[in-house]
Amino acid sequence: MKITVSINIGGYSFNIDEDAYSELKIYLKSLELHFSGEESSTEILSDIEARMAELFRARLAAYKQVITIEDVMEVMAILGTPEDMSDNEGPSAREKFSSPGYHRMYRDPDHRIIGGVCSGMAAYWNIDPVIVRIIFVVLAFGGIGVLLYLILYIAIPEAKTTAQKIEMHGEPVNIHNIKDSVKDEFNRVRKNMKI
Amino acid sequence: MDIENTKAQMRKGILEYCILSVLSRNSCYASDIIKELKEAEVIVVEGTLYPLLTRQKNAGLLSYRWEESPQGPPRKYYELTDTGRSYLSELDNSWQELVGSVNRIRTR
Repeated sequence: MKITVSINIGGYSFNIDEDAYSELKIYLKSLELHFSGEESSTEILSDIEARMAELFRARLAAYKQVITIEDVMEVMAILGTPEDMSDNEGPSAREKFSSPGYHRMYRDPDHRIIGGVCSGMAAYWNIDPVIVRIIFVVLAFGGIGVLLYLILYIAIPEAKTTAQKIEMHGEPVNIHNIKDSVKDEFNRVRKNMKI
Repeated sequence: MDIENTKAQMRKGILEYCILSVLSRNSCYASDIIKELKEAEVIVVEGTLYPLLTRQKNAGLLSYRWEESPQGPPRKYYELTDTGRSYLSELDNSWQELVGSVNRIRTR
């Protein structure tokens, strides 16, 4: 018996085995990272997803309703790894991010209490977010904390993509970090669902 | 020197030309283009095509329209623009020149 996850790819809904799901997610994240230097990266990714949906549909039948890890491996082989796709044109994600310690401040949406300002600052300086929060609460009683928080909330962008979340911690963005971060995310979801 | 790498480099160079040539006959959606390119063995992995299509579209060589498909969500049909056509005819010339040059050297 296996747990399946329901996902939407290119407008189709699929049931996919859990292990296949985490593999697919890592693959899509690595593509996202690869094309992040590209002007129309979202468009390229949605085109690839549309094709992926077509390939998955061809693998399903009345007696086979769930996408397995083998299907994902096959489709990944057909579409190719990000390295296969690179064509030495356009700024690649590697050039953009790979300098070790590329470090920016972001708001951290995963560990936020209000807007993720404190947790983002804590991630940037690598300290406990509780310390930053206490400072802000103290400042709030002093009268400037709330205003300061609002200003920072507006000024600091939210870490939306996996690459940005890794940058927030000042780690180089590469496929290994992406894998770790996707696995973390996946395990967190599992824990919340109490599987 | 790695023979596979050299071959891949050669293919990459002509891929852009091949995409425009496929589209010069009629408008296609991405999977049709892939099918032709695969049959002609100019691409190995499909993912190579999508960034190129988007780049050519952004450069004004291609345009696309959404078309209903008999099954599932609408498909993106690409076609050559006028700029694309003149771009292609220039590539046609330079391809002929290249073939000529290589043949001259090889048959000397």
